[in-house]
Amino acid sequence: MEKKTAVYICTGCGIGDALDTEQLSKVATDEGSVPICRNHNYLCSQEGVEFIKNDIDNEGANTLIIAACSHRVMYDAFNFENCIVDRVNIREQVVWCQKPGDEDTQMMAEDYLRMAMAKVDNMELPEPYKPEEEISRDILVVGGGLTGMTSALDAAKAGHSVVLVEKESQLGGFQGRVQKVATFPYKGTEDNDLEALIQEVTQNEKIKVYTGAKVDKTVGGPGVFEATISQNGTTAEHRIGAIVLAAGWQPYDPKKLDEKLGFGASPNVITNVMFEESFNGGEISRPSDGKDVTNVAFLQCAGQRDPDHLPYCSSVCCVTALKQALQIKAQNQDANVFVVYKEMRTPGQSEDLYRKAQEEGITFIRCQSPEVKASGESLAVEAEDELLGEAVIMEDLDMVVLATGMVPVTAFGMDITQEEKEKKEEDEAKKGEEDLDDIPLDVIRRSDLLNLEYRQGPELPALRYDFPDSHFICFPYESRRTGIYPAGCVRRPMGIATAQEDAAGAVMKAIQCIELTSQGAAVHPRVGDMSFPEFAMQRCTQCKRCTVECPFGAINEDEEANPLPQITRCRRCGVCMGACPERIISFKNYSVQMIGAMIKAINVPEEDEEKPRILVLACENDAYAALDMAGINRMKYNAWIRVIPLRCLGSMNLVWIADSLSKGIDGIILLGCKHGDDYQCHFIKGSELADIRLSKVSETLNRLALESERVRFETVSIIDYDRLPAVLDEFAETIDEVGPNPFKGW
Amino acid sequence: MSVKVDPNLMKDLKAFGLKDANKCMQCGNCTAVCPLSTPESPFPRKLIKYAQMGLKDKILKSPEPWLCYYCGDCSDTCPRGADPGEAMMVMRRYLTSQYDWTGFSRRFYTSEKFEIIAISIVGILIGLALWIFHAGNPNMEHAYLNSVWPAPAIEIADIVMGTILSILLLSNTWRCVRFTMGDLLKKIPLEIYITQAKELVIHFITQRKFGECTDRMQWIVHLLIMTGYSTVFMLVVVFLAGGIHVIGLSWDKIMFQRDVIYPFFHPVRLLGYYATFAILYGTTYAMIGRLKKSKPQYKNSHGTDWMFLILLQLTTLTGIFIHFTRLLDWPMPTYVLYVIHLMVAIPMLVLEVPFAKWAHLAFRPVVLYLMAVKEKYKEQKGIA
Ligand code: SF4
Ligand code: SF4
Ligand code: SF4
Ligand code: SF4
Repeated sequence: MEKKTAVYICTGCGIGDALDTEQLSKVATDEGSVPICRNHNYLCSQEGVEFIKNDIDNEGANTLIIAACSHRVMYDAFNFENCIVDRVNIREQVVWCQKPGDEDTQMMAEDYLRMAMAKVDNMELPEPYKPEEEISRDILVVGGGLTGMTSALDAAKAGHSVVLVEKESQLGGFQGRVQKVATFPYKGTEDNDLEALIQEVTQNEKIKVYTGAKVDKTVGGPGVFEATISQNGTTAEHRIGAIVLAAGWQPYDPKKLDEKLGFGASPNVITNVMFEESFNGGEISRPSDGKDVTNVAFLQCAGQRDPDHLPYCSSVCCVTALKQALQIKAQNQDANVFVVYKEMRTPGQSEDLYRKAQEEGITFIRCQSPEVKASGESLAVEAEDELLGEAVIMEDLDMVVLATGMVPVTAFGMDITQEEKEKKEEDEAKKGEEDLDDIPLDVIRRSDLLNLEYRQGPELPALRYDFPDSHFICFPYESRRTGIYPAGCVRRPMGIATAQEDAAGAVMKAIQCIELTSQGAAVHPRVGDMSFPEFAMQRCTQCKRCTVECPFGAINEDEEANPLPQITRCRRCGVCMGACPERIISFKNYSVQMIGAMIKAINVPEEDEEKPRILVLACENDAYAALDMAGINRMKYNAWIRVIPLRCLGSMNLVWIADSLSKGIDGIILLGCKHGDDYQCHFIKGSELADIRLSKVSETLNRLALESERVRFETVSIIDYDRLPAVLDEFAETIDEVGPNPFKGW
Repeated sequence: MSVKVDPNLMKDLKAFGLKDANKCMQCGNCTAVCPLSTPESPFPRKLIKYAQMGLKDKILKSPEPWLCYYCGDCSDTCPRGADPGEAMMVMRRYLTSQYDWTGFSRRFYTSEKFEIIAISIVGILIGLALWIFHAGNPNMEHAYLNSVWPAPAIEIADIVMGTILSILLLSNTWRCVRFTMGDLLKKIPLEIYITQAKELVIHFITQRKFGECTDRMQWIVHLLIMTGYSTVFMLVVVFLAGGIHVIGLSWDKIMFQRDVIYPFFHPVRLLGYYATFAILYGTTYAMIGRLKKSKPQYKNSHGTDWMFLILLQLTTLTGIFIHFTRLLDWPMPTYVLYVIHLMVAIPMLVLEVPFAKWAHLAFRPVVLYLMAVKEKYKEQKGIA
């Protein structure tokens, strides 16, 4: 495409009053030799947009630089098809946060315009990615329990063909073994009608059900997955668009529980799961001799919310205990039923079930650590009642039911990082890879669910407690593998109502993924982005940085360790681009060269002018938005800074740091999202990786004989906008103290 | 030592009128809002906990039920609809039955049928006795009660009844004292018991504690019924013969229910009027309240609550009718009304006073007194 650049400067929103826009135009026309440069006092109005369109239609302008507001606003007004568009943020990040009419303010605006011109010079129009194979619209659901079946039906109702794989010989999962259910609206116990759901699923023409089956292998990526399913020794292949993982949970092993809880000490101490399984369909009776039960104690949180066992709350066992207690009461109104709890957790309407249980005369005892006393036939529970301030004893018990928790099936199997470590210790030859050890690896276990043929491991990576989640609050239903959406109890412990909702949510994500992939666009969080990474393989040194660092496992490897990007799995974060020491990875509209050129475009005044320059590399998801917010709130900050937004801080390539410093830029500050367990990074590990890379920058600094204070990393989230000006000002002060960069003017 | 949990107590308490306490989730709002609860004796939440856990012994030792005057603030506040105020009322019934060694009270509270039959039998017996033992030649020209039932006979009967009643009530009260005080009973020096005695009197007369409740109307109604009742009680039991005539301890001028008609401003006549007015006003207010369920404390009416009000009102009404028929000098109606009056009043006295709701007249001030004693004792021990 032959570029014809046009620059538009808006003088509205106070820009015209604070800046000398004549002077600014000169930067475009004189320095940049841009053929078209125009001012308008209301560029985002219909008239303003027409004004630009006129140039596109009549002057052949196709590369547009719009110096006005932040790219985070008015993007629908400034949306011109088949044109390269760049926005220069002279409103929020110049006139709204700097002194009007000041020389420094003017310099800032001019620099931003220079940077934009350098940027568009290095940009191409992205073309959507089209894989060779046709995009499959089928959805694979792994797990035929309540969640899996609900997902399958929801997907089928939305017009998608579904492949449902269940490892047991019949559909139903855990819910299939339950007699009574307690769910919305929680007025009491109800009969389990899972059978009806099973019927509906098996009779649906769009759903192909495999029972007694498993997924042997999954290759490819969204739209082009190929799943190999084995059943009774035969295998079947399916082309799949997206996957819902609803593989469920396993009960926590009661043998691991604290001895105090008495599991194993008497056959009459059972778990909530054993209760369901042994009394399904029949009378509730004493396990040891089948006699009637008249005294039963339920002990909640057995090995739950306990750092030594399951640190989390399984969220359903309180309701389950109420349900089971009510079942006992329904069988024998005179039975004495006790529930010993840490806290009764009956959120929302399930409180009604708690109330119902109280009305039925069930006794509740609040105690943090009850003790089961079993000797021979006799069974008792002693509990320090917190509300009484005294120990109480329940004697002559027929049965004690322990509320053990849910463990996601992804928690089983060997952790592959552990495996690799062991392998490495054995294999001396692999010592050469040691420099990859700094990269934090995800927990991925061989849980034999999806068997992904991915370079980073065969299953979904886990976040906390082995749940394959991905910061649900910020990114609902997402996992760290594109096109694979966990739902139900594998994602987090949940009850029936939530699982059904979860199933629908995950299916909608899967459908969205298929749609976007078929357009060649990215899914969450850069939804609709058409650009994708391209690898200039001639220069690749097989260092494996990109294949290991990609937060989404989008890059496979061949035997020679050449990266094999699977574009439909890619989320376009640019982490690989930042990781690559050879700088061979680039996007049509985002590259190492492009940012490098922007840095070079910054005008660095001579030392005696006493105008230091500070480069801010800001994550565009949070930090850049926070800077905009500071401007919107008219907070003032230092005039020496020049901000470059990055897709993710993880796309930061160290060469930019070296480039900036050798150009005479005095300080560099990176603004990224919080990382660690409660990460907020949209690309999970991006900001963490940037931080790690930065720790290596000291070498560069040493080589250039520069002070380490010149480079800094700060975590900011969008709500930190109010402290951001202070952070920048303080950094500027530090830089001032350190003194000018000696490389100025080289 | 751990206490044994016993869910059966809740079932037992149901018979005493407990309905909603099992809904309590132990949030403590009721205790926070109760104007009478103190950090030293917090209630009503604690008592509900005792009940839920079946801790009978702890309930037996608790003075708190008697500290509650059932203002109903707690029931209004309870987020669970557990009606803690009613639970306290139930506790009082339960305690009354526990204090009673005859076991009569328990039957009374747990069976409405038993209550009605017992009262009817006593009533009929009284009627029969009056029929059988009346004088041979009653005065049919003037309304002279003593001509039908001679004063000394009535007097003796009154003393007999008073004695039995006192023995029952005092023995029950003694059990109440023993349960509430436990081991402390003998540890506390006599002197404290004596110095604190004035508390007993003050509480009895002013019901000061009740006045601390937010709903003052309840206090006034309660005070009216209480003073009205006590006045009549004094008039009948003590002044009947102007003292104890049979043993020569009496003063004719204050004799009650004699054929002499006192002038309007005679203190005995005035007291009688006050009592009549107070009781009629109080009981009517309470009955209307219970019918309309206008306040939390009127929402749940136990059989004994109704029996109490009905008997009291009937006694008062027949009493005032007798007064008028005597003034009008109608002999026959006077005599008939007198029989009815006693058929109502005596069962009320002999059954309700030691065994049912009336007993709180003794228990409450005694417990308040004991609390004051305990406090004083703790204070002294604290200083020592
Ligand atoms: S749901 Fe209840 S029993 Fe289960 S872990 Fe949570 S608090 Fe404990
Ligand atoms: S852009 Fe991000 S998601 Fe895509 S391959 Fe690179 S690192 Fe992976
Ligand atoms: S009675 Fe009501 S207010 Fe009092 S603790 Fe129980 S639930 Fe709370
Ligand atoms: S009824 Fe009134 S006095 Fe009795 S416990 Fe409730 S708030 Fe306290």
